[in-house]
Amino acid sequence: MSQVTHGTSYPSNKKSFSNKLRKNYIGWLFILLSVLGISLFYFYPMVQAFILSLKSGMGANLEFVGFENYARLFNDPTFISALTNTFIYLLVQVPAMIILALIFSVLLNDSTLKFRGFFRTAIFLPCVTSLVAYAVIFKYLFAVDGLVNKFLMDLSLISEPLDWLADPFLAKITIIIAITWRWTGYNMIFYLSALQNVDKSMYEAARIDGASSIQQFFYITIPMLKPIILFTSIVSTIGTLQLFDEVMNITNGGPGNATLSISMYIYNLSFEYTPDFGYAATVSYVIVILVVILSFIQFKVAGDRK
Amino acid sequence: MKRISKKLLFFLFLALILTLAACSGGNESGSDEGGSDGNTITAWAWDPNFNIAALELAKEKYSGEEGIELDIIENAQDDIVQKLNTGLSSGTMKGMPNIVLIEDQRAQSFLQSYPDAFYPIGDYFNKEDFASYKLPPTSLDGKQYGLPFDTGVTGLFYRTDYLEEAGFTKEDLTNITWKQYIEIGKTVKEKTGHNFLSLDPNDLGILRVMMQSAGAWYTDEEGNINLVDNEPLRLALENYKAIMEADMVKLNSDWSQYIAAFNSGDVATVPAGNWIAPSIEAEESQAGKWAVAPTPRLDIEGTVNASNQGGSSFYVLNIDGKEKAAEFLANTFGSNVEFYDELVTEVGALGTYTPAAESEAYQVENEFFGGQQLISDFSKWMEEIPQVDYGMNTYGIEDILAAEIQNYLNGKSLEDVLADAQSQAEAQFK
Amino acid sequence: MKKVKRIFTYLFLSIASIISIFPFLWMLVSMTNKSVDVTQGKLLPGTHFIENVKGLFNTVDIGTALINSTIIAVITTFLTLLIGSLAGYGFEIYRSRGKDMIFNILLLSMMIPFAAIMIPLYRFFGGVSASVPFLGIDTLAAAILPTVITAFFIFFFRQNTKMFAKELVEAGRIDGLSELGIFFRIYLPTMKTTYAAAAIIAFMNSWNNYLWPLVVLQSPENQTIPLLISNLGAGYSPDYGLIMTAIVIATLPTAIVFFVMQRHFVAGMMGSVKG
Repeated sequence: MSQVTHGTSYPSNKKSFSNKLRKNYIGWLFILLSVLGISLFYFYPMVQAFILSLKSGMGANLEFVGFENYARLFNDPTFISALTNTFIYLLVQVPAMIILALIFSVLLNDSTLKFRGFFRTAIFLPCVTSLVAYAVIFKYLFAVDGLVNKFLMDLSLISEPLDWLADPFLAKITIIIAITWRWTGYNMIFYLSALQNVDKSMYEAARIDGASSIQQFFYITIPMLKPIILFTSIVSTIGTLQLFDEVMNITNGGPGNATLSISMYIYNLSFEYTPDFGYAATVSYVIVILVVILSFIQFKVAGDRK
Repeated sequence: MKRISKKLLFFLFLALILTLAACSGGNESGSDEGGSDGNTITAWAWDPNFNIAALELAKEKYSGEEGIELDIIENAQDDIVQKLNTGLSSGTMKGMPNIVLIEDQRAQSFLQSYPDAFYPIGDYFNKEDFASYKLPPTSLDGKQYGLPFDTGVTGLFYRTDYLEEAGFTKEDLTNITWKQYIEIGKTVKEKTGHNFLSLDPNDLGILRVMMQSAGAWYTDEEGNINLVDNEPLRLALENYKAIMEADMVKLNSDWSQYIAAFNSGDVATVPAGNWIAPSIEAEESQAGKWAVAPTPRLDIEGTVNASNQGGSSFYVLNIDGKEKAAEFLANTFGSNVEFYDELVTEVGALGTYTPAAESEAYQVENEFFGGQQLISDFSKWMEEIPQVDYGMNTYGIEDILAAEIQNYLNGKSLEDVLADAQSQAEAQFK
Repeated sequence: MKKVKRIFTYLFLSIASIISIFPFLWMLVSMTNKSVDVTQGKLLPGTHFIENVKGLFNTVDIGTALINSTIIAVITTFLTLLIGSLAGYGFEIYRSRGKDMIFNILLLSMMIPFAAIMIPLYRFFGGVSASVPFLGIDTLAAAILPTVITAFFIFFFRQNTKMFAKELVEAGRIDGLSELGIFFRIYLPTMKTTYAAAAIIAFMNSWNNYLWPLVVLQSPENQTIPLLISNLGAGYSPDYGLIMTAIVIATLPTAIVFFVMQRHFVAGMMGSVKG
């Protein structure tokens, strides 16, 4: 405020300052609706859910127990196996799916390829399937006398049928295959749309310089798509940590608890068993904490430009 | 410039509000406080061929003084459980129905979790008129909350042709034990090549059937978790392991595969609740090839050849219109023999109202099952079903047990399996 | 060498397509079979198609469910894209420390499982019901509102805006366009493929959304398609022929939206070749 003379002597500066202020103010208008909406429909209930996580009891008979629920987690073998399973899904499935989706999108982005529309549609289709159909079909395919076993036996890869859904290890594999089947096309869509925004002349230049298509993939495609790859890996991580549909409908968490996911455990605590919403909310907050940590790591690894 | 952008934003907000108003305009039918709206009461149930059809029939048969309009809403059972839990725990009774159908094994957890949410209806009908095994799950602290609906009375459905081929007669299957059942199964598999039954390794329903025939459950009458010193459970688990190891099981992982196992003629028997009959009858080419024997029992004192699997009852929520809802139920499901007659003939649903057992409709011979008086047999067995208090944690304990059973099948000793399951369950459900 | 590579590409994509499509063929085949045949996994078409369709229309009100799902999905998609892209654009173009912090906080909302906030949310709408009935429980508006504004799409649009040539914004300003004018006249047309992808995803999410509509919608006249299919599979003796028919009908709209929208991927490419 003491720089009145300063201000008067540089009128152009003042103008640009007010201009910046105005833009900043318009910028806030752009995000206003979203901030209000998310606060109302997510943060307000999240705070409520946190308060709930400090209580315990069945149904409506809740009592304040402080952090007892959080301590209970460590002595809950079901929770621990759900957590372990979820991490196995996460570490195996997310990278596999993202790489596969990237390969599909790069192959399909080649405008000289024939039947492009057909392949694109075919690979995307699984994620529009109704869950009921998807689950029923996967159970059939992976049944003891199902098509997968028949196929593998015809190829002499196995000598007797595998019990895909009743063996703890194979059941996990089945779930991983199922998620990959359903969501690869979904991720491909993000990459395909993003690839359209990549300047084609970069590939031209690379080709002239004699770069192979694999080199182009690593030195142009991946760096250009970095923001969207980061986006899909965070979304897939969140998706896997909240994995529910596949497990619920294909194996129902079994055999034993071999395929149980954290979200399915939350569902069981809330609706399958005598409801304990307090403890269920506690388990939910574990997911939040995990996702925050993992997303932070992903942001750091991807080196989000500042 | 600034004015234009402001105007645009304003229009965006306007558009948003208008669309929201427009899409909500057509839906003013919902009442404010949930439940009753004048003489209309709502009911939630889940099976269009079964309990929904029963409610439709009740609506038709209702003959009370007061005019009551019943609005029946169909939701899958899991969906009802979710909606009810969400609504009752939020304390918002808006959108809740007057009458809701709840599975017996879940009833206690609802009644105890939401103490004032349900309306006791014991004064509206005579509970002595119903199969006694239905009463413990539907009441709490001496008050009757549920009006018993269908029975899950079990039977041993079997293929007469396969059994005959292996040299067994009707008598050989009547009033047998599970041990005998397993032995017969081995012979049938050997002689005919057909599997004896189909099981889903993730569904322990058959254990519950075995336990209830001896009047036992995962919990005792006080609600204490009772796995270690539970002789019927121990025997049931031994039988279960013997069945799984006898190479006579066709594994399934899904309800549709379970049905396919007998529709395709792959298995010789189906030990299940009476409600499986329509699915068996769906394969018309097998007409005349099926019969039903009493459920096998355990090798233990005090066990009977009758048990139960599934079954549900109607509950009235403690909201406006509760008296009307209770009256409606009492007038139909609670007292009307003629209604139960038609329920059996029209819907094929077997209720638990015992005075109906004498009626003519119950004596009818079922041609698909070789002229057997199916309904009459089931209602006889129904009255023998031992009373069991399902307690609060059936499904929770079973998930713990399921994990331990995997270990049991892989060679862990039964003592350790039960002891470990017991301590885990105790830690989980105090 | 190039030819061999081509052949491998086709082979790889063909196998992937067959694996992806197989369940759809099975669904289409099952639509023509009796329940008993479906449970036995029959792979050949039958003659029961007309009966299944008739049976479906007789047992459930699929028309109402289709209309409700369409209303919800179309409005949700429109609003989601509008609000999400405004915010994504706002966060990236008018970047500031404060906004970045808010953005990170908003991202948190993606991370909590919906089951955890469902009950508080239901209670909230229960409260709304008392004062503003047309936005309360058992209205389509209540089914739409909480799903319209999601961090997912804000994040998505922001990540894509990172790839948007910011010089265009400056060019717009020099041309005398207002800030919103730049958004609508320059950003929106340039990002067509991004909007197309977002529209596919938003429509699909909304069309298949299950948990929230399930708890918030009560009366049959407000039923949506996923709820209807869930009901069909309930019961002691479900009819799988009917279920498969319903599933095929339910899948068509999303498939159509995809067909229509994916043309914009192709169009986008043409545009960039031209430019």
